[in-house]
Amino acid sequence: MDYILDGFKQAINLIISFNKEIFDIVFLSLFVSTTATVLASMISIPLGISFGIKKFRGKRLFSRITYTMMSIPSVVVGLLVAITLSRRGPFGRLELLYTTKAMIIAQTFLVMPLSFGLSFGLSKSRGKEIQKVAITLGANKYQSIMLIIRELKVDILVNVATSFSRAISEVGAVMIVGGNIKYHTRVITTTISMMNSMGDYPMAIALGIILLLISFIVHSAIYSYSKED
Amino acid sequence: MEIQIKNLAKTYGEKKVLDIESLNLEREKITGIIGPNGSGKSTLLNIIAGLDDKYDGQVLYNGELIDSDIRKKMTLVFQKAYLFKRTVYKNIAYPLEVRGVKEEKIKQKVLELLKILEIEDLKMKIGSKLSGGETQKVALARGLVFNPELLLLDEPTSNIDPEYIEHMEKAILKYNKENKGTVIIVTHNINQAKRLCDNIIKLERGRVIN
Ligand SMILES: Nc1ncnc2c1ncn2[C@@H]1O[C@H](COP(=O)(O)OP(=O)(O)OP(=O)(O)O)[C@@H](O)[C@H]1O
Ligand SMILES: [Mg+2]
Repeated sequence: MDYILDGFKQAINLIISFNKEIFDIVFLSLFVSTTATVLASMISIPLGISFGIKKFRGKRLFSRITYTMMSIPSVVVGLLVAITLSRRGPFGRLELLYTTKAMIIAQTFLVMPLSFGLSFGLSKSRGKEIQKVAITLGANKYQSIMLIIRELKVDILVNVATSFSRAISEVGAVMIVGGNIKYHTRVITTTISMMNSMGDYPMAIALGIILLLISFIVHSAIYSYSKED
Repeated sequence: MEIQIKNLAKTYGEKKVLDIESLNLEREKITGIIGPNGSGKSTLLNIIAGLDDKYDGQVLYNGELIDSDIRKKMTLVFQKAYLFKRTVYKNIAYPLEVRGVKEEKIKQKVLELLKILEIEDLKMKIGSKLSGGETQKVALARGLVFNPELLLLDEPTSNIDPEYIEHMEKAILKYNKENKGTVIIVTHNINQAKRLCDNIIKLERGRVIN
């Protein structure tokens, strides 16, 4: 049992001594997942909002498919992106596989359905009323959607935080397309997974603690912002 | 704006909630719609406002079918008004902003309406946090601010205290006289209908009765 306690002690030491390797990994994780979340949100939120208020044939089936896609396994996304980017794949020439860019692409595709689905559901339930008011006041389609986004901005921010949490905590997609290459494509989750299999617990525990801390900070920020609203 | 309704029928499931053979609402006049709860008043206003297109029959605006141009010339103040999560000033400015009106002009119009409705003290408050009556005052100001040709009001004074109702009625009359605006107002207050309206229409179970 001692090795667990020992692992924690060493982990804390690693964190408070600002171990360079650890912090490089943390920064890369933050960079990849933040970029992916921003990209996915910019595309998925306006799309989700506009599909939510639209009337169209087969909307129910569309909803069900969307909600299924929200929980698409990260390894599946990783695999699909890897196939597309592999040397023989359609985008093989770009030589993106095993780079930071590939990880960003994979995570963007991973959280896009999530972000879309959450915005879609939100807009379906609460966007209609706002859209009606917007129409009676003379807003066009674009103006209505911008208004809905602004009116529901707290809920949308929660969506963004949820997307970010999914991105930064997933391991399958970045492992497959990034390859967990030291000093290059090694992020928090892939390192934890590797350290665990190597029996190097302090580093794994330290990164686990940091991952939890990041999640805590993000959600606290959102929480205090939503109370202000 | 003149409204002509022909053979209008609206059903929810099996239930027919509107059944109007023919109805003309005169331009530049104030028309009152009265009738018991559930008689179809709000449904009718929603249809005229172009928010509901699931009905049979025809609604003509100056003889034409609805399009985005006509939409921009009218507005509906809802029975349960929804104000945005921004200041009262910004709420009232919204219809002008979406029409690309210049900042200076917007300021002038908004301040004018705050004054007419005596709600200057609400100016910097957040719209979504106002009381029921305050919300109705601001919603009316927001509907009047761009001088629509057609103003549809769904029980606009249901939460307003008796002393203040006069102010709102004055504002509606002023708009009707000075801007030649057509008004259709739903109200449960028969005295209000008598004070304001040139014509009164009575609805019962979705039908117009005389
Ligand atoms: N979305 C809906 N689905 C089903 N029935 C509806 C719907 N909206 C309204 N109705 C029904 O249509 C009828 C007319 O409703 P409407 O809101 O037009 O009445 P109203 O005259 O405005 O009543 P009130 O004076 O209470 O505001 C009511 O019987 C109502 O229950
Ligand atoms: Mg009603």
